[in-house]
Amino acid sequence: MQIKTLRRWNNAIHRDVGYLCVGMTLIYAISGIVLNHFKSGDLVHPDYAKSYKEVIVPLPEDGKVTQTYVFSVLDRLGERDHYKSHVLGTKSLEIFLSMGSVYIDLSNGSARVEKKTPLYVIREFNLLHYNNIKKLYTWFSDLYAVALIFLAITGMFVLKGKNAILKRGAWLTLIGILLPALFLLYYM
Amino acid sequence: MTGKLLFSIGMMALILSACNMGSRGLDPGNAIKVTVASFEKQAAVIVEKTVVIEGTVLHTCKHGGKRLFLVDGNDSVSVEVTAGKDIPKFDEKLIGSRLRVLGVLKEEKIDEKYLNEWENEVKKPLENHAAGVHTGAQGHEDQGTQDKLDQINSLREDLKKSGKDHLSFYSIEADKFEEIKK
Repeated sequence: MQIKTLRRWNNAIHRDVGYLCVGMTLIYAISGIVLNHFKSGDLVHPDYAKSYKEVIVPLPEDGKVTQTYVFSVLDRLGERDHYKSHVLGTKSLEIFLSMGSVYIDLSNGSARVEKKTPLYVIREFNLLHYNNIKKLYTWFSDLYAVALIFLAITGMFVLKGKNAILKRGAWLTLIGILLPALFLLYYM
Repeated sequence: MTGKLLFSIGMMALILSACNMGSRGLDPGNAIKVTVASFEKQAAVIVEKTVVIEGTVLHTCKHGGKRLFLVDGNDSVSVEVTAGKDIPKFDEKLIGSRLRVLGVLKEEKIDEKYLNEWENEVKKPLENHAAGVHTGAQGHEDQGTQDKLDQINSLREDLKKSGKDHLSFYSIEADKFEEIKK
């Protein structure tokens, strides 16, 4: 087969596999940024945005935490409709809400109200990125990874001339390989 | 166009079905009923047996949602539940919900060798979250290196006091779970 024909096939397959990989690439890239910043501590949770408010609440009059006391705290915070359950600690009380919680220090009445908002779509992307689904998705994501390898290899042979892999392309490819290697050398 | 649409619909169906897995059709069958309060006492003699337990979710692991902790009324005793192969994750929205969990009781043995390896992991610059004993306590996932080393030393003390060659930690590997609506 001639080089010209090979290149035509290479480019056609590279193009079509590239189109097929758009969806998964966006999923992994967007989720990758989120998980990256979650791992580095910039985000509290990868699937939820959270906000916190510090307040002081009255302590139970007789020192006993009852359902009435829990509701009175929630009434004060305007959260009674969102009540789910509560759990008593040694010197603390945690009230769970449908989208958050109230953590009360029973020694001084200081409370932290946590509100959370689901990061819709990103949450689903993370599920896929972590491969929590397993089963058939494992094979599907393997196939995607193989497709990425294929794209990387065929991508090197798309162009000819001064931008080809043996000219300008060689330097750029080398830089792309050296950059992660430098990080490894520096940090390991 | 039609192909892309079908692809998108297929992906969405996959995600949605995965999100609902593990939360339907819990039939306890002959599973041994355990409670949060009696779990530690019962656990040693029912390792690898199928059990069913009810409790309120105190905490879910934010690193992939692979584990949660059940309590009952107060947080003095908690039971660790890990996600089995058919459960994609425990979503944080489960916190505060009352669950019925069906799964297999597992034992994790912590010996001197394990503690040494854990200590080495903790001292490495890159955190290995999978290592160690998960307590489910507030902020346990945000522990610093020193906190983890303190925990390891405390376990070394417990091991010494126990007079045995290992400490046993019990958990339930969940096959299925369902939310108990009030």
